[in-house]
Amino acid sequence: MLKSYIARRLLNSMLLLVAISMLSFLFLEIAPGRFLDEMRLDPRVSPDTIYAMRQQRGMNDPLPVRYGRWAGGALRGDFGLSLAYGVPVLNLALPRMRNTLLLTITALVLAWVICLPCGVWTAARPRSLAARLSGPFTSLLLSVPELLAAGILLLLALRTGYFPAGGMFSPGGRPAGTIRAVADASRHMLIPVLILTLAVVPLLLRHVRAALESASGAPFVQAARGLGIPERRLWLRHILRVAANPLISLMGLSVAGLISSSLLVDVLLGWPGLGPLFLDAVAVRDTPVVISVLMLSALFLVAGNLAADLLLYACDPRIRTE
Amino acid sequence: MRARLRLWVAGSVVAAIHVLIVFAGFFAPYDPTEQHREIPLATPFTINAKGDGRAEWFTTGWRYRVLGVVTCSRHLFGASAGGQVFVLGTDPYGRDQLSRVLCGGQISVLAGSIAAFLALLLGLVFGTVAGFYGGWTDEILMRLAELFLALPWLYLLLAARAALPDSLTPGQTFLLVASIIGATGWARPARLIRGLVLSAREREYVHAARGFGASHWYLLTRHIVPETWGVLLTQAGILIPQFIMAEVLLAFFGLGVGEPVPSWGSTLSYLRQPWLAVTAWWMLAPLLVMLPLFLGYHALASTLQQRAAAGSG
Amino acid sequence: MRTVPFAVCVLCIWLPAAGAPPADGARGGRLVYAQRAEPKTLNPVTAIDAPSREVIRRMTGDLITVNRRTQRPEPNLAESWTVSKDGRHYLLQLRQGLRFSDGHPCDADDVVFTFQVYLDEATHSPQRDLLMTGGKPMQVRKLASHSVAFDLAEPYSAPGRLFDSLAILPRHLLEAEYRKGRISAAWPLQSAPERIAGLGPFRLKRYLPGESIVLERNPFYWKTDGKGVHLPYLDEIDFLFAGSEENQMLRFLAGESDVLNRVSAKNFKALQTEQTRAASRLEDLGPGLDYDFLVFNMSASSGRPWFRMREFRQAVSLSIDREAIARLVYDGRAVPLWTHVTPGNKLWVNTALPRPARSVAAARGKLAAAGFSWDREGALHDPAGQRVAFSIVTSASNQERTQMATQLQDDLKQLGMNVQIAPLEFRAMVDRVMNKRQFDAAVMGLGGGDGDPNSEMNLWLSSGATHLWDPNQKTPATPWEAEVDGLMRRQLTAMDYETRRKLYDRLQQLEAENLPFICLASPNVLVAAKSTLGNFDPVNVDHYTLWNVEKLYWLPAHSGGSR
Repeated sequence: MLKSYIARRLLNSMLLLVAISMLSFLFLEIAPGRFLDEMRLDPRVSPDTIYAMRQQRGMNDPLPVRYGRWAGGALRGDFGLSLAYGVPVLNLALPRMRNTLLLTITALVLAWVICLPCGVWTAARPRSLAARLSGPFTSLLLSVPELLAAGILLLLALRTGYFPAGGMFSPGGRPAGTIRAVADASRHMLIPVLILTLAVVPLLLRHVRAALESASGAPFVQAARGLGIPERRLWLRHILRVAANPLISLMGLSVAGLISSSLLVDVLLGWPGLGPLFLDAVAVRDTPVVISVLMLSALFLVAGNLAADLLLYACDPRIRTE
Repeated sequence: MRARLRLWVAGSVVAAIHVLIVFAGFFAPYDPTEQHREIPLATPFTINAKGDGRAEWFTTGWRYRVLGVVTCSRHLFGASAGGQVFVLGTDPYGRDQLSRVLCGGQISVLAGSIAAFLALLLGLVFGTVAGFYGGWTDEILMRLAELFLALPWLYLLLAARAALPDSLTPGQTFLLVASIIGATGWARPARLIRGLVLSAREREYVHAARGFGASHWYLLTRHIVPETWGVLLTQAGILIPQFIMAEVLLAFFGLGVGEPVPSWGSTLSYLRQPWLAVTAWWMLAPLLVMLPLFLGYHALASTLQQRAAAGSG
Repeated sequence: MRTVPFAVCVLCIWLPAAGAPPADGARGGRLVYAQRAEPKTLNPVTAIDAPSREVIRRMTGDLITVNRRTQRPEPNLAESWTVSKDGRHYLLQLRQGLRFSDGHPCDADDVVFTFQVYLDEATHSPQRDLLMTGGKPMQVRKLASHSVAFDLAEPYSAPGRLFDSLAILPRHLLEAEYRKGRISAAWPLQSAPERIAGLGPFRLKRYLPGESIVLERNPFYWKTDGKGVHLPYLDEIDFLFAGSEENQMLRFLAGESDVLNRVSAKNFKALQTEQTRAASRLEDLGPGLDYDFLVFNMSASSGRPWFRMREFRQAVSLSIDREAIARLVYDGRAVPLWTHVTPGNKLWVNTALPRPARSVAAARGKLAAAGFSWDREGALHDPAGQRVAFSIVTSASNQERTQMATQLQDDLKQLGMNVQIAPLEFRAMVDRVMNKRQFDAAVMGLGGGDGDPNSEMNLWLSSGATHLWDPNQKTPATPWEAEVDGLMRRQLTAMDYETRRKLYDRLQQLEAENLPFICLASPNVLVAAKSTLGNFDPVNVDHYTLWNVEKLYWLPAHSGGSR
């Protein structure tokens, strides 16, 4: 039963990934402009030279051939050669993905650490001041554009001089010694993590609260309350367990966004993640890089959803009978 | 009772801002595209008194159209002959910032609304079909929704905008931008609606109607779609601000509606240089309207959501 | 050694620098330089993007360098050279004792190998076109261990410029790759430092993906200062990849980077207000070589017959408020332009040309004389009765050009023209203008590093691929284009400056009369550096700030250099 379920989900996910790659390939093909087009503006380079440079990169082949070449690379595991860098995309993407994940995972953990207790607190005391303020507070956070938050924080960094104004390490490269490297990197991470967390918290808090509130309204909770089970134990033992279902799905969704959520922040703050690589690749039409980053992001989405579903399957016996 | 009060406050804030925006021509003292090149980046409350110019109420000025029909040239306030008044200062072209914020609102809010309408319509159709028919249809549509959720839509928008022809008027570009934003945003509402339809499908009265031989169309329009109104309204409250922000983001990358037509995005794109937010802080003026508007929408959405929850519980 | 069978004239001229002579500095310290984007490769043969070249130029050496301050060729790896009277034969003498940055000696074999690589069609080097004269590649022969002869099919009017920026490659490291046909894949960013060697002042130390490239002093660099101290003075250069001009600014304002290579006028203004905090030195070097222009699609297929009418273009030019562009778009830090040669290009600008002031009345007069008319609403109609309406494409990511287009739209409204602006993503715009030719008009910018007319051959020849307004013509479409063709061909092979200058003056005169593109403004070159950076001598041509990197040093007051 479980095996066939997993097999079906895996097959679905594979099909989804193939569809995404084909669609994005097609999309990039439709978008006007090709790699090396900017050289057309340089009077010192002849169109023949540009043609030859494209020929060398296999850009003059028909679309199916180019897609096949990339897909072959993806199956081999190196995702093909980048047009601009001339090296396998995997070599480009891996170190940057590590940096991106460092940001997003930290922000995600932070957001859950904030939202879960806050959600329980406000759901358990719906009449408290905190609970009443949480609604307006989250919508205020939702209303502030990410761009504005980034701008204000950067300005703050500049004016006070306490925080670095971008990048991952101070000039001079990675400091010697693990402790100093970690300290330096975490100082640089402060602002981007703050922005990412602020972007996630309002929605997450709302969802957590909604899940807990609906769980606390269940008939068995009323019954338990009637039986005199202490409120504290009721929340921690029973309500949280009932609310686990939607929470796990939420967690899956958060994992799914691990790559794509920070692309903009990467770019705004000069973080050496996938963002600048991706945006640059879109700009210069470096198709293999664009597709591969999209695929990585889709891979996380699929994996996140799959993991959430499997966890649900393990936790909730009702699903197994479906 | 409190919920009702909140609904009233939020509703009236949203309504007031919409009135301000719909009748922007009346409240805006200048044509938002008129360039006063001699005073770029004037500070707010600049009254440029040449001769005996001073601020006056109910002046006659540039001609505008109300709701696209009535042509009018009466304004709430302006400067008498020879003078200029810039309540919110001017932008780098010397265009009146207040007029741009108000008239820009027309573009931005309309873009957000059109996009939200489109997204909800697509979401409703796909979600209902997926939930009602189930099976392979459901499987395909939901995988498609996942696909749309997975692709970083910002970059798709960039690519799509680049694929458009260039000989479009700003109006056509605007419609296209709005529809692209909407067409990429249907996945989330579709998933929500599918969930609702799935549960509605199993209600006893639906089974009963089916038993009496009701057609699919009858079932859908009479019993199932009405169940989704609450969610649709709530989603609209969330999606409109979100799509207004999408327009801002597009403009941030220089791909919004396009000069000289005003929009909140094109004004806020000066945020690209954070230090300008200090030296020319009045370029942030759209936020004066955006923040209350968004707060109002969110409050409306959450109140509706609570009502729906209370109604069904 | 064979004797050279032709009369020689020595062209090696030493001119004093325009600024103060470089001071003798102190060694040590690190320079941090924030780049706009990440370099793509360290391979000098295939690099095409500006960030890659920025880094590669600090690691490699060329035979003859054009001094960026004086604009004259100067000996670099070649200590002297001679040119035959007919301009077709060059003889270069290499310096003795040259060593690559890995310590391996460099001689004529490396030079011959280098040119073999660049000229090989299979290498696909973008520099190859520069080494062709009369459609044929130059011939390179080794005469002795330190002398090399170059034979050209046709004389080339700018000797010395041929060799500028052409990095000499280490044969001992690259020959194997070349023989295997893999030269264009050599030297990616992740290369081990010991696999890369050049003849520049610095060599690779470390690369952090997405973050930075660190170069260290090349201990084998040949140049010494007045006291015999081996250059460069700096121990290290850090190239940080900022990602955007805004981030470059932020890094500089925060004191993390030491040099800002080129900033926009708006950012320059912000720097001025923040100057006290960063203790920096801001320099406005006046107009560079860049020119912003409006170009019409004059191809027969464009469907807008007026674009090909000279009076129409003259009327447009007369109606444009160039002063307002310089003042509003560039915050006053630009000069209005009437032809594409900027006042910054002192060797070649024709200052005798008229600069007609803006006059809407005169513009309307021109249009009326050419048969245009206005209807009751003031809209302009062409002689055939068609409404004059068109769109201007421009790069969306370039705020200045978008603003220029918006102002043009307003100016042209005064003439009754209905103009739409279409900001497009940069490559989409290039595709429209250069490949598909589906556009009415475009606001663009050209210019860059080289002010010599030879670099513009394909722009001006009516058969050229970058002849923007009507490229790849079989025969010149107009008499003046035919004359321009002749002028450009003649100046390419003329050997003395005065003759070339006369030809180029005439070209500018034809340009001002016929307005194939309508030039708008040339932005000033604005740079900044920490005030404790010694020998900082920025120039208004590429590369603006780091061209004399080997002489830069930290003044004693500096505390941040050895962070």
